Amino acid sequence: MKGSGVKQKGKGVTSFLVAQWLPLMVLALYGGAFVFSPLKARQALAVSGQTFASVLLIILAVVALTGFILVWIDRSRVARLLGREGGWRALFFAALCGMLLIGPPYVIFPLLLSIRQQGARWAVIVTVLAAWAVKIQLLPLEVQFLGWPFAIARTLLTLLLAIPVGLLVEAVVERGRPTPGD
Amino acid sequence: MGVPVNTVGLIYLVLIGFLYLTCWRRDRRKTLRSLHAARSTLIKLLPMLVAIFGLIGLVQVFVPAAMIESLLGDSGGFLSILTAGSVGAIAIGPPLAAFPLAGSLLEAGAWPPAIATFVVSWILVGFLTLPLEIELFGLRFALARNGISFAAALLIGSLVGVVL
Repeated sequence: MKGSGVKQKGKGVTSFLVAQWLPLMVLALYGGAFVFSPLKARQALAVSGQTFASVLLIILAVVALTGFILVWIDRSRVARLLGREGGWRALFFAALCGMLLIGPPYVIFPLLLSIRQQGARWAVIVTVLAAWAVKIQLLPLEVQFLGWPFAIARTLLTLLLAIPVGLLVEAVVERGRPTPGD
Repeated sequence: MGVPVNTVGLIYLVLIGFLYLTCWRRDRRKTLRSLHAARSTLIKLLPMLVAIFGLIGLVQVFVPAAMIESLLGDSGGFLSILTAGSVGAIAIGPPLAAFPLAGSLLEAGAWPPAIATFVVSWILVGFLTLPLEIELFGLRFALARNGISFAAALLIGSLVGVVL
C-alpha cells in the first residue's frame, strides 16, 4: 500500500496479467491461428461457439444457484460454529460446510484464517478446503460434460477423502510441535 | 443422453426459478441480493468462460486426438494420471471452467481416471495461489496441504478408474 506510484502501477499490470492470463493466451493463440491457418481457425471458433451455446443455460442455472448459496449461507456464522466444535462432529460439519462454501481462493483463504483464529483445529480448516473441491453446485455442468457415473464417482470420492486429508495435513503440520493445550 | 442439452438447461433454470420464487415470498431483499451476487459472479467469470470455450475449439481442431491419447490415454497408466495432475496443479481458473475442458479432453480419448485427477487437482492444488496461502498460514502448512492434496487428487483419479 505504501509503495511508490511506479511500483503500484507495475503491480497492477502484473496482477492483471496473472488474473487474465488464460483469456490473453487464448486471444494470442487465435491471432496466430488466423495468421497461419484461417480456415482451421474459423472452424475452431465455430466449435467454441457451438459448445458455449449448448451449455449456456446450464451455466446460467449454475451461476444463479451460486448467487443463492452465497447470500443465504451466512459465512461468519459458519466460521463461529466451526471454531466452537471439536472432535468428529467438527470434521463432519467441516466437510458439509466445505461443500456449501462458494468463492475464489482469495475469499476462502482469509475466511479459513478467521475460523482458525476462532479456535478451529488444523484438520477442520483443511477438511473445509478439501470438501470445497466437491463443487456440488456445479454438478449439473459436470454431468453434462463428463456423464453421471463419472460425476457421482468423483464427487463421492472427493467428499470421502476430505476428512482423511484434513487429519493427515494436521499430523504433518503439528509433528514435533507442542500441542496448543500444553 | 437422449434429452437435448438445452432442455436439460431449461429444466435446471426452471427449478432454480422456483427456488428464487419461494425465497422471494420469504425475504425479498435477500433474494434480490442473490440475483445481484449471481450477476456479478457471471460478469467476473465471463472472460474466463469465453477463453475456456475458445480453447476447447482450438484443442479440437488443432491438437490431434492421438497426441491427447498418448499423453492422457489409458495406455499411459499412472503416468497419464501424473501428467493430468501436474497440468491441473499449474492451471489456475475457476472450477467452473475445469469441466468443459475436461469434457473435451475426455472426448478426444483421454482416460477417465486421468481426467478425474485433472479436475480435483485443478480445484485443490494451487500453484499460483501458493504465495497467498504461505502468507496466511505459513510455509509448512501450505506445502503440507498442497502436497497431500496433490496425492489425494492422484488417489481419487485412480479410484475413479476402479469404480467406473
